[in-house]
This record gives sequence, structure tokens and C-alpha cells, in this order.
Amino acid sequence: MDKLFYLVVEGFKNIWRHKMTAITAVFSLFISLYIIGLIATAGSNSYKLIQYFRSKYKIEIFFKPEISNTEAIGLIHKIKKIDGVLNATIIEKEDAVRIFKDQFGEDVVDLLGYNPLPASAVVNLKRDMQKTLRVDPLIKKIRAINGIDEIRYQGNLIKKIERNYKRLIDKLPYISGVIILIATLIIYNTIKLSVYARRETVKTLQLIGATRMFVKLPFIFEGVFIGIIAVSLAFPALLLTVNLINYLITSFSPFSTKLVFDTFVYLWMFLLVFIISLLGSYRATSSFLK
Amino acid sequence: MIEFQNVSYAHSKGYGLNNLNIQIEDGDFTFLIGPTGSGKTTLMRLMYFDLYPDAGIVNINGFSSSNINPKLVSKARRKIGMVFQDYKLLEDRNLFENIALPLHVMGFSVRDIPDRVDEALELVGLQGKEKHLPHEMSGGEQQRACLARAIIKEPDLILADEPTGNLDPVASFELVRLLETIHETGTTILMASHNYNLIKGRGRPIYELKEGNIRVR
Repeated sequence: MDKLFYLVVEGFKNIWRHKMTAITAVFSLFISLYIIGLIATAGSNSYKLIQYFRSKYKIEIFFKPEISNTEAIGLIHKIKKIDGVLNATIIEKEDAVRIFKDQFGEDVVDLLGYNPLPASAVVNLKRDMQKTLRVDPLIKKIRAINGIDEIRYQGNLIKKIERNYKRLIDKLPYISGVIILIATLIIYNTIKLSVYARRETVKTLQLIGATRMFVKLPFIFEGVFIGIIAVSLAFPALLLTVNLINYLITSFSPFSTKLVFDTFVYLWMFLLVFIISLLGSYRATSSFLK
Repeated sequence: MIEFQNVSYAHSKGYGLNNLNIQIEDGDFTFLIGPTGSGKTTLMRLMYFDLYPDAGIVNINGFSSSNINPKLVSKARRKIGMVFQDYKLLEDRNLFENIALPLHVMGFSVRDIPDRVDEALELVGLQGKEKHLPHEMSGGEQQRACLARAIIKEPDLILADEPTGNLDPVASFELVRLLETIHETGTTILMASHNYNLIKGRGRPIYELKEGNIRVR
């Protein structure tokens, strides 16, 4: 137990003894973890963001002029049953006259002597689909309903948003994988250089009878401590960044949504750093002590 | 006991040891003399299993080069105290930490270590310098520190490879006296040197190594 305690303390002391090497390693690792954290935060918020955009998708349906308000309500019930539709709100013929008057300042009934405006509906789409939302098949189904004259929707915009969301979701695991690999290599190389710089110490330890594990453990603890310091710095930096982005969004953009910093991301990062620093430093010392 | 049976070793550049036979009994104090490059360090390295013979067998304290498990090398070395010409003190640790290192390696209790370190420092005359880093000490002090690190684990055997190589004559003489004091406790000592004047007339066996061959002087 005394030996293990000594080796843990030695790992910690090594950071102090070789401050510059440790600072360089912590900084490199901090940058990697910060980027990983940003990607993870973007990933965890992307679903929230796409839900926000989907809430803004709007499909306007104009019924044929001969369709009465009552018939329109019946058609709206049919539309609501289509997969992907969240709700539909009727705009009755009389409401259309009011809207026309609000927009153009003229009463269309006074001008023409009758109401030429048809009943219409505004359809909102479901937001909680994990996959990309395909709006064209939905429009096709709505168009197939008898009594519909015209459908207006932001087809190209929706397609663009959904396509970009898919791209992001598809690429995130690869980007994270590359960054994690880089972080592992940073730890591995840092420890390897650190062992190499202290090869005389390693040799002396071996000559006085230290086992391979006795030589290795302080380096492994050192690697883990460096990882813990880096992750401890990365966490507040990420929190600060997310808060800053939220401030910018709410102050300078029309969006009302806010990014959320998931503490699970922090736990995940902590675990990740612990594992890669443990494996990275073990591999580095093992390859040197062969 | 140290035993070399027909031991040969060749370095990649050609020089080395040729068919050596040596036997040093437990409790002996033996000198090994020879010019630089004669193979003294090679012979020492064979003793602490840093090198393995190309031919023949080296037996040290019950461990044999012919069948020693690599995992047991550390165990074998714990029974050997080593003193080097270049001291091999860890530059980033103070004197206390350097001397205590073998005890940590051997798993001594933290409570027992300070007393043993004090004892070793007193024996080599370095009390009060516990906090000094190696570069803050003279060559003679560093060599005595190296000796303290070797004796603190109470080894069966001390191998001193040119321990006076970097010391002035007075410090060299003091070091040999110190080794003789340690020998009086029953520790086997083998000291290599190229300085014949330092070791002659002490009534100890002297092996002379020349171009890889050995003879008793």
C-alpha cells in the first residue's frame, strides 16, 4: 500500500518537476478536449435545433372555392391523419376576408359584391422525428385529397435544412473519432517523449532493482493527472463558450432557442480522458521499456 | 558468491571478454584493475544482468545467467548495491529522495524509511544535506551519496565501477576507506579501478583485466 501511495505521489510530483512538459501536454490536450466538447455539444443540441426549425415549417393549403367551411373542416380531419402532420388550423372564408383587409386595406366583399376567397388551412409538421423529414411525399398525400386547389410550402428551404441536418448527423461520429484519435496520440506522444527525456532515470531505477511496473506506474499516473487537469480546464471553458453563444443568439439574432450544455457530455469526456490517458501512457511506457 | 565459468562476451565493435574464470567468495573485498577499455564495466554489467554472456555462465548470489527469468532480474539487482563512476543520482530529486529510492522499490514502510536514510547518511558523512539536489553537492559528496544509496538496502554484494574515477586523491582515498568500513559488516565488495596506486598494499586480492583476459596480480 505504501509503495502504491509512493508511486501515485511520484506521478503527481513528476508533473511539478517537469512543469514545462506538463504545461505543453495539458494545453495540447485541453485544445483537443475543447474541440471534442464543442462537437459533442453541437451533436447534443442539433436535435433541439432541428426541432426549432421544424416548428417554423409551414404548409398553406387552399381549398377549391366551392368547398364550404364545414366541408373544409372535414378535409382537415383527413389531413391530420397523414403521417408527419402535427396539426392543421382552418382559416375560414370570413377569416380570409379579414386577413385580406389587414394586408391590403380593402374589403374584398365591398369591392366585388361577393367573397371570392377560398377556405384554407395552415399545416404544422411533426418535429420529433430523429431521421430527416421528407416533405414531398407528405405534400403528395395531401394533394391526393379531393377538394384541394393549391398547396404552398417552403419546399427548397425545408430540403436544404433537412439535408444539412443529415450531413451533420452523418459526419459527427467521424469528426469526433478523428479528434479522439488525435487526443490519444497527443497523450501517447507526450508520455513517450517524457519517458525518453527521463531515460537516465528509468535506467537508474532499473539498475537499483525496480520492476517494470514500478518504473511504469508514475508515468501512467502522470498521464492520467495531465488528462484530469486538461478536462478540468476544458469543462468551464466549454460552459463559458456555450453561455457566450447563447448570449449572442438571444442578443443579436431573431432565434429564441438556446443551446444546452449537457453535464452528461462532461462525464463522458472525463471517462474518455481517463481511458485514453491510461491506455496512451501505458502503451508509451511499454514500448519504451521493451 | 560471484562465479564466472568460461565467460566470453563480445561487443558489436569487437572488444569484450575472453573465456574468463573468476570465483569470489562471500565476504571478500576484491579489486579489479585494468586500463580504460579493458572490459571492467562489461564484467560488472554481466554481474548485474545488464548484459548476458555469449558463452559461459555467470552465477551471482544464487542467480545464474543461464536460466534467469527476465522478471527475476530486478529481484537479483535488489541484492546488489551499485556504485557508478557517474553516480547516476536522479537530478530532479534531493539527497533524501535519492537515498530512499531503493527502499521504496523494495516496498519498505514509509515510517521506517527516514531512520534508515539517516543511518546511511551518517555512515557516509552526509548528515544535514538531505534537502540538497545532486548538482548542489561536490563530486566526492555525490559519490558518497551513491554509496549510501547502495548500502541502504543492506545488499549481499556491492559492485563499485570506477567509483573514484571523477574524484580527487583525498576523496578517492576516503571512499575506499568507507568501502572497507562497509566490508567489515560482512558485505562482499568488488571495486573496479584503473588507479593501481589507490588499491595496492591493502592486502586484498586484485584481479587484473587486460584486453579481455584476466589474471590474479
